[in-house]
Amino acid sequence: MKDNILHLLQTLRAYAVEKGYLVSVIYHEEDSSLMRFANSAVSLNTNEHIIRLGVEAYDGRRRAEYSMITGLDNLDEMKRGIDLAVEMAHHAQPLGYDMTIPVFKQDFADESAFDPALAAMSSEERLAFFNQAVAGLEEEELLLSGIFSSGVNIWAQINTLSEHTQYFQTTDAQISVVLAHRQLKWEVTAEQSAQQKADLNPEALRRELAFLVRCYKEQPAMQLPLGTYDIVLGQAAVADLLSTMNWIGFSGGAYKRGFSFLSEEQVGQKVFSEQFTLVDDPNRRETFPFRFDFMGMERQPFPLVQKGVFQGFMWMQDDADEFGMKPTGHTVPARSLVMAGGDVPVATVEELARMPRERDVLYIPFLHYMNIVNPSQGVVTASSRFGALLLKRDGSIAVPYNVRLTQSLLDLFGERVAWVSSVTAPYNTSSSYGERNPTAVIVPMFMQVNGLEISHSNSSY
Amino acid sequence: MQKQIQQQIERIMAKGATYVDARWYPLDETSSLTMWNGNLKSAHTNRESGIGVRVLYQGAWGFCASSETSDLAVVFEKALENARAAAERVTFPVRLAEKDSIQASFESPCRVDPFGVPLTERVAFLSRLDELMAQAGVEQRMASMDLMRKQIIFLDSEGSQIEKRITEVFGGLRVSGRDAQGGMQVRTFRLNRRGETRGWESFDPDFFAQQAERIVRELNELRTAENCPKEDRSVILLPGIMFLQTHETIGHALELDRILGYELAFAGGSFVTLDDFGKLRYGSEKLTARADGTLINSPGSFGYDDDGVPTQNTVLIDRGILVGAITGRQMVEEANARAHRTIFNGSGGANRATAFYRVPIERMTNINIDPGQDGTLEDIVQATERGIILDGDRSWSIGSNREQFHFATEIGWMVEDGRVTGVVKNATYKGATVPFWNSLSAVGDASTWSVQFVDNCGKGQPNQIMQLGHGVPVCRFDNVRIGE
Repeated sequence: MKDNILHLLQTLRAYAVEKGYLVSVIYHEEDSSLMRFANSAVSLNTNEHIIRLGVEAYDGRRRAEYSMITGLDNLDEMKRGIDLAVEMAHHAQPLGYDMTIPVFKQDFADESAFDPALAAMSSEERLAFFNQAVAGLEEEELLLSGIFSSGVNIWAQINTLSEHTQYFQTTDAQISVVLAHRQLKWEVTAEQSAQQKADLNPEALRRELAFLVRCYKEQPAMQLPLGTYDIVLGQAAVADLLSTMNWIGFSGGAYKRGFSFLSEEQVGQKVFSEQFTLVDDPNRRETFPFRFDFMGMERQPFPLVQKGVFQGFMWMQDDADEFGMKPTGHTVPARSLVMAGGDVPVATVEELARMPRERDVLYIPFLHYMNIVNPSQGVVTASSRFGALLLKRDGSIAVPYNVRLTQSLLDLFGERVAWVSSVTAPYNTSSSYGERNPTAVIVPMFMQVNGLEISHSNSSY
Repeated sequence: MQKQIQQQIERIMAKGATYVDARWYPLDETSSLTMWNGNLKSAHTNRESGIGVRVLYQGAWGFCASSETSDLAVVFEKALENARAAAERVTFPVRLAEKDSIQASFESPCRVDPFGVPLTERVAFLSRLDELMAQAGVEQRMASMDLMRKQIIFLDSEGSQIEKRITEVFGGLRVSGRDAQGGMQVRTFRLNRRGETRGWESFDPDFFAQQAERIVRELNELRTAENCPKEDRSVILLPGIMFLQTHETIGHALELDRILGYELAFAGGSFVTLDDFGKLRYGSEKLTARADGTLINSPGSFGYDDDGVPTQNTVLIDRGILVGAITGRQMVEEANARAHRTIFNGSGGANRATAFYRVPIERMTNINIDPGQDGTLEDIVQATERGIILDGDRSWSIGSNREQFHFATEIGWMVEDGRVTGVVKNATYKGATVPFWNSLSAVGDASTWSVQFVDNCGKGQPNQIMQLGHGVPVCRFDNVRIGE
């Protein structure tokens, strides 16, 4: 397959060179499978095999893109796409700055994050995985939902400035299992991210679900009074916050446009908790990484925050061109964020519940529908979901209805951080909008932040 | 091609399927332009074609899609294979509500084909607006234009054959600039329904120029404004935020698949239960809401849904009482069976997919609020003792069962004793859905009603972005917490 794809790119390049065009061609192929569960049944079982070709054409300071979903053997259609992109660029308006056109100085192919066994998983295997993950947990009123999404993702690139190509092939799986009470409407979840079949562990999911189900069935439900709480954020919540921070914190372009809560003056300054260290590390295969960016720049681990000190912005090429900055190898569909673990060895919710504590602690595993209230101040809002627990100081557990947090990222990762779990794991942050594009963030399993305010508290599930 | 598809449908039915449909997209094209601070950052055209096949086998769905249409048998066979695998875990066998076999076509109203307008002319349109917005106080300015056209051919095993040709246009302007505290303030204009067609004629340069001048003026008012206070007040929602309130806390809450638990893995559920239909006082008596897929000229009007059912005008909330939902063929059957009563008389024609490679699910059509009897915006303001007028969606976050929400708006105007007293920035409001709608105390008349277009509604796994509309008037709600 790889040879066919690279041959296709060379053929398209030859066509463009012969015509005197200046273009980049990006090939994307996904072979996606999704088994979706609802009401304890398989509600949907899908396959999508999609080939996309993107052409970016340059004409002085003008540029334009043409993309298509097509078949591998539709060469004439692809050539027409190149012609159309060039035609569009000719009629586009010039940019106010010089743009950099990618040049690949060497052939690069990375298939290290591709696992044939995961790629070949059948519907029967996916169903068996789910059956194992919820074995003994389903009841007439306790219904299974969730997804097993897996696939193969290929990116390949060439341009007319050199004959070299870049090729990336990965496999990925995103699993979420939800058990929800039909009448009471409470819901708990366990999730897993996999880059290879060996990463899959249905028994780990089952253990976590079993503990949460037991809590929700046996412990009293309550509406939390509004006020401040010491909150332990779970892996999903931390990953979601970091993904938001990636957008309105570390992007140089967002900063220059006034949509970042960080500034150039803060580079080298202690902005966050000493317990917060974050790096973009393309060497971590669990993040489905790109070791070269789409400009052909080799990517190295890029520190963002070191023990609370802000290290600097990430610059993708177009932003760097516009604002006269040096690119940092971040012209990629997804980054590889890795948050360092702390010094508290707690790996599971059950262990968290057993930890001694002097005060009540609210555990929020998941933040639903996070949105940015004020990017300049880093204020975000979201609701708790999927298995929150009130861990009382006497060791007992209560089940709170969902609550809303509206907080600044500077507080959430600032001096209020009490402790961070030493155990880290990948959390799959892929969205399935448009094309398949697997992403994952490596995060500690738990992070406790003290003195956070709850701004709304539900009166029922 | 239709003949080959029909042959494949018959072949799969002969293998034991109980229903098969196919959506063939000969053409699905979008063309987008984004001009940012005078730079044409994006000039992008995307063209797709392919086929999506649904097979119902022993009460379970299988789906397969491919951009390769040269060997249709492979796609149909894979869809059947997926359905067979899904049939291993069935708890409520899928049944489809009755419908007529339909041979029909639908074409959205378009006077001037926007794809026929030369790129240079489209760029010039945005460039002129960009120049207009380049004024003091404006740090970032963006003008964008998105054109879409689709040809969809639907065939099913019940004899339907429907062809749709849909053209959509979306456009917007956005300016931002820093206030005295360094916070970034934003003002936006989004193209909505103008007249009964939506082609290139929607891009009226004078109208856009007026909007550009207005948002720049309002941005500069925001830059020197005080912060929104944190207190309880009446909120008067203009259509630029009222559409979102309707979208998030009526539209999504009343999607029948959410109510039945089919979206719990991701998007969430709904606080609404089947017992609530005909009983729940969702809002005050001033509230009548409907899903109107028959409205002329809106992205939420598409002729026939992807079950092959004609779009309809369905009342959702009748003078405050919940009576209807957003429905497709599968969910109404299951809801009626689970409720042991007939809540829904057939599909509401709201099952849609965003592309050939996605499966149809319940999506909003035009979720509208009927105009009321409380006069113009001025009348409502004059009748408000202590309030705030809000406009522009800046951020939105909603509870997983749509039971509560927190919205940030772009701008607020304080109202004291029936008069507007000034602009405030960083305005937010929040509430719990049912109490909020029950605090609805004024609904503006037809002069305040407009159809707002939405081009980015996300739902489902794999996720689908959908286009739809909301016809909404100015509305006032009492005792709402703002500024948090």
